[in-house]
Amino acid sequence: MAAWDLSVTVEDLGSDALPVTVSVTSDLHVGGVILKLVEKTQIKRDWSDHALWWEQKQQWLLRTAWTLEKYGVHADARLLFMPQHKPLKLGLPNGITLRLRASFSCPAFQTVIGICRILNIRHPEELSLLRPVEEKKKKKDKDLAQDIYDLTEVPLSSVSQSCLYNGMPAHFVGSPQMEAIYKMLSVTQPPPAPEVIAKQYRPASVVDKAHINGRWLDSSRCLMQQGIQENDRLWLRFKYFAFYDIEPKYDVVRLTQLYEQARWAILLEDIDCTEEEMMLFGALQYHISKVAQSEPQMLSTNAAMDDLDSALQSLEVKMVGESSSASELLENMTAPELNDYLKIFRPKRLTLKGYKQYWFKFQDTSISYFKSKEESIGEPIQQINLKGCEVAPDINVAAQKFLIRLLIPAPEGMNEVYLRCENEQQYAQWMAACRLASKGKSLADSSFQSEIQSIRSFLAMQKTNSHGNAPASDESINTHSLVSPRYHKKYKPKQLTPRILDAYQNVAQLSLTDAVMRFLQIWQALPDFGLSYVVVRFKGSRKDEVLGIAPNRLIRIDLGVGDVVKTWRYNNMKQWNVNWDIRQVAIEFEGNVNIAFSCVTADCKIVHEFIGGYIFMSTRSREKSDTLNAELFHKLTGGHEAL
Amino acid sequence: MEQVSDDELDHGAEEDSDKEDQDLDKMFGAWLGELDKLTQSLDDGRPQKALQKPPLRQETNMANFSYRFSMYNINEALNQGDTVDLDALMADLCSIEQELNTISKPNSSSRSQNKGQQFNVLHFLINPTLGSTSSGSVNARPAASNISLDDITSQLEKASLSMDEAARQTSSSSSSSSRTGSVGAVSEQEAPSQRSSVNSACASASSMDSLDTDKVLTGGEEEQAAKLKAEKIRVALEKIKEAQVKKLVIRVHMSDESSKTMMVDERQTVRQVLDSLLDKSHCGYSPDWSLVETITELQMERIFEDHENLVENLLNWTRDSHNKLMFIERIEKYALFKNPQNYLLGRKETSEMADRNKEALLEECFCGGSVSVPEIEGVLWLKEDGKKSWKKRYFLLRASGIYYVPKGKAKASRDLVCFLQLDHVNVYYGQDYRSKYKAPTDYCLALKHPQIQKKSQYIKYLCCDDVRTLHQWVNGIRIAKYGKQLYVNYQEAMKRTEAAYDWSSLSTASIRSGSSSASIPESQSNHSGHSDSGVDTGSSHGRSQSVVSSIFSEAWKRGTQIEENTKV
Repeated sequence: MAAWDLSVTVEDLGSDALPVTVSVTSDLHVGGVILKLVEKTQIKRDWSDHALWWEQKQQWLLRTAWTLEKYGVHADARLLFMPQHKPLKLGLPNGITLRLRASFSCPAFQTVIGICRILNIRHPEELSLLRPVEEKKKKKDKDLAQDIYDLTEVPLSSVSQSCLYNGMPAHFVGSPQMEAIYKMLSVTQPPPAPEVIAKQYRPASVVDKAHINGRWLDSSRCLMQQGIQENDRLWLRFKYFAFYDIEPKYDVVRLTQLYEQARWAILLEDIDCTEEEMMLFGALQYHISKVAQSEPQMLSTNAAMDDLDSALQSLEVKMVGESSSASELLENMTAPELNDYLKIFRPKRLTLKGYKQYWFKFQDTSISYFKSKEESIGEPIQQINLKGCEVAPDINVAAQKFLIRLLIPAPEGMNEVYLRCENEQQYAQWMAACRLASKGKSLADSSFQSEIQSIRSFLAMQKTNSHGNAPASDESINTHSLVSPRYHKKYKPKQLTPRILDAYQNVAQLSLTDAVMRFLQIWQALPDFGLSYVVVRFKGSRKDEVLGIAPNRLIRIDLGVGDVVKTWRYNNMKQWNVNWDIRQVAIEFEGNVNIAFSCVTADCKIVHEFIGGYIFMSTRSREKSDTLNAELFHKLTGGHEAL
Repeated sequence: MEQVSDDELDHGAEEDSDKEDQDLDKMFGAWLGELDKLTQSLDDGRPQKALQKPPLRQETNMANFSYRFSMYNINEALNQGDTVDLDALMADLCSIEQELNTISKPNSSSRSQNKGQQFNVLHFLINPTLGSTSSGSVNARPAASNISLDDITSQLEKASLSMDEAARQTSSSSSSSSRTGSVGAVSEQEAPSQRSSVNSACASASSMDSLDTDKVLTGGEEEQAAKLKAEKIRVALEKIKEAQVKKLVIRVHMSDESSKTMMVDERQTVRQVLDSLLDKSHCGYSPDWSLVETITELQMERIFEDHENLVENLLNWTRDSHNKLMFIERIEKYALFKNPQNYLLGRKETSEMADRNKEALLEECFCGGSVSVPEIEGVLWLKEDGKKSWKKRYFLLRASGIYYVPKGKAKASRDLVCFLQLDHVNVYYGQDYRSKYKAPTDYCLALKHPQIQKKSQYIKYLCCDDVRTLHQWVNGIRIAKYGKQLYVNYQEAMKRTEAAYDWSSLSTASIRSGSSSASIPESQSNHSGHSDSGVDTGSSHGRSQSVVSSIFSEAWKRGTQIEENTKV
């Protein structure tokens, strides 16, 4: 067979270097070409990750046993010899950019799996890669400074998910830099400065939101085929809002990043919520950032809890501890109480004008008050049981106003009572007692001290807020960092603090994990949760409409009214087809309902992938095995490539 | 858990009350007279009692009294001369017992914190009955009762004897038969306390049962030493708690205008009370049986959710309340789960759905990471505060509460005004608000804090255009408020129903193990949980009967002693 010259550009020789020419025959297999090529370069190194990329055809020649003839490679082919894994700048949900090596040769779906393995995120099928929104060139220098997290040195072979050392995947253990990266991945970021939130791009309408979804990479094709170059920037995001089997013990990174994505979605009003919900989200963010800072040991304790024996031991200790405290309690019978002079005001009673001072006693879950300390042995003037009541703060640190507003249910309705405290110290104690009592807990409850602490820290926050716009540091958080820019305009931090404090009292006792989970739950309970929008044109319609794709249904939104006009559930879906020639998606539902539409803001492959992806996600619960059925995913999302 | 004891008590009670119905009635009347006298003497002896205190300002509600109960209900029960089962009797006797103890120990008036509370409670239980005897129709009887006092005593003793006998037949097996290996130790330790002071008999009896059943749940799973130790400690803690358990005598109205008086434990859930009522009333099992709270004064009612604590809810009633507790079949209780498509999809029209899809829909709604509250929205009428006029507003239900769209705004989330958050309120069906409040339709719902019992600006009234909308809203609010718990309740109720068809005789302990095990009844009693019902019910029967009897005899012994003492 006749030999001919094949010229191959070897990337490792530099961009100016001339192509290397090797003499080949058509029946030479690709592996043989590579062997000749390597010999000719005379560079000794590990070439195992390298492969040939055929530029004209936008195709990798990965099957080394195939001959050139089989691939159809002729002398005019422009081939590139380069590594399959290349560094990529990856924007994480928490806003931080990471450099790591990702596969440019396998389908993006597999690339994401690889990335998630490095980052220790379970269920990579829920994530995907997104082309970022173009940023202004001005900030270039800042970006470089930001890019400090480098994972490119991680040897790909050493990555295994299964074993944890010290609560971290093995490849993070060792150097302080690597441990710092893991900390960045697994610990929530402090609240962003209000200016940062204000500067970020915020979608103003449902059409804006739809444009984002045009940026998802095709998960069936590799990065090279999609024009991604080495060191390009991509975002890693949760794409399918069906989070399967979240297990805080194993999902530290996954939960953290999910929380970050949810937090940013709230802060940037990517998803709509009411003012009350925003305050609760704010309170949870405040709580999470506070606990995250005070709980740096969380990882190692988690690792320790892996051990069943130690877990059992700690249970035993706990039980013993509880019993001793209970028996002590019974022996002593002196339940803790608070005693002090406070002022009381009842807005409804005409007989009492303004605040009157009495000697107050807080015992169990009730407040009683007496004329004076001396008379406290006798009958109280009144006794109020706070169980089930509503407690609200009314404070102004600058004006030294410390009011506790109580709304006490009674058969006749709710009674309003104000208690006025003299100072922070007193307020923190009585407020904490009131809150516990409203939940039916007495002062003896173990959470009393921590409740006092959290009230104090919130007071401290208000104090710093009143002295101008303090930057977000660990102790004081500007409340504007916790809400979307809309509320920056509506409220001053000073006005916002009591509202967030109000919501905060219901979550102050949560552990870090519980608080994150609560945040995610409330996020998931929002009506618009999980909707990815695409502008489409329905068959036979003359105007653009929006298709919302949710984990369980499709909705059709009229752009003029902004209302949902129709809902279709996947449960009733019989089949869906894509006509790749006219790029139209057709779906058939039970009961002879047929819809068809073409996509305007995203390729129909993206819509196809969304629908197929969600159907794939819903099959997971039925499959007991933990391994990912990638084949099924490709079948459902691949389109004609999968055939 | 505790319904095991109450249940069995009732089986015992019924056997007796069936044949001794009239005797008992007579007995009870006489006994009431006796009580009347007793209290008079008590009053003389201890004028300083908590209950005789000048009432504190009433708005302080129940700070001092840990107990409130509708006098009206008890009153009515007595006036009607209904058969009052032994349950009620026993509770009353228990409280007398306590009272007697306080008298015999004069020092106890300077009560320690904890004891005092406990007495207050029991005190209160008995007191409504006392009040009614002095004011009600029984008033005329004391004279007669004096004569028959001996009769009663002997009758009671006879009754207790027969019960003792019944107990003995089974008790031999009961004290030694332990349901699991590890429980054995516990129940045997407990055994002596049966015979010890009556004071604790009542409490320990139910504690035993609860402990046993608790064990059944966990027992057998782990045999580790650590677990065992922890369990023991828990048992000890449980006992400590047990000493302070409150009980309440309640009257339950049946659908046929009759009523039943029974005692409930403060820890019992509505499901447990329902189960024991179902066991007693032989009305067939259906998940639709409900306990309905009717607030007469406000013309509203609510079906208690199965997981709710009954006593806690009843304690919200005022003392003179005319509220009623009904035991009745209500299809709307679980209609949500039978036809989820009509409630969860936010559609206006009813529709049919294949069972397979219903299940998938419920799964999707209740079994995900978070419960998805149905998107319910639309125009409702809102009653204006203090007026009989109703205003139209566009309301929306969200997981975080009920919102409305302010005038002149679109319904974007951020502009919504929060009407109510659901943490502190319950949802009630309004009854006949068309005439009471001039409501536009009869399909009204009300939202209020459970403690509010009288007209108040804090009660919110909403009116729907049709009954379907009403049910959608009420069920939507229930989902938003209780979330997955509702579904769990339903599944639990269905399990009970299925089990009822599988089993001819029911013991509550064995039901809990689920229907899967129901087909393989095991005869050995030292198998956890799934043991054959015959052996187990028998043993607990015996135990509780012996407890009842010992309470009777002890109480009467003491009663007569006091009587003698005061005479001297």
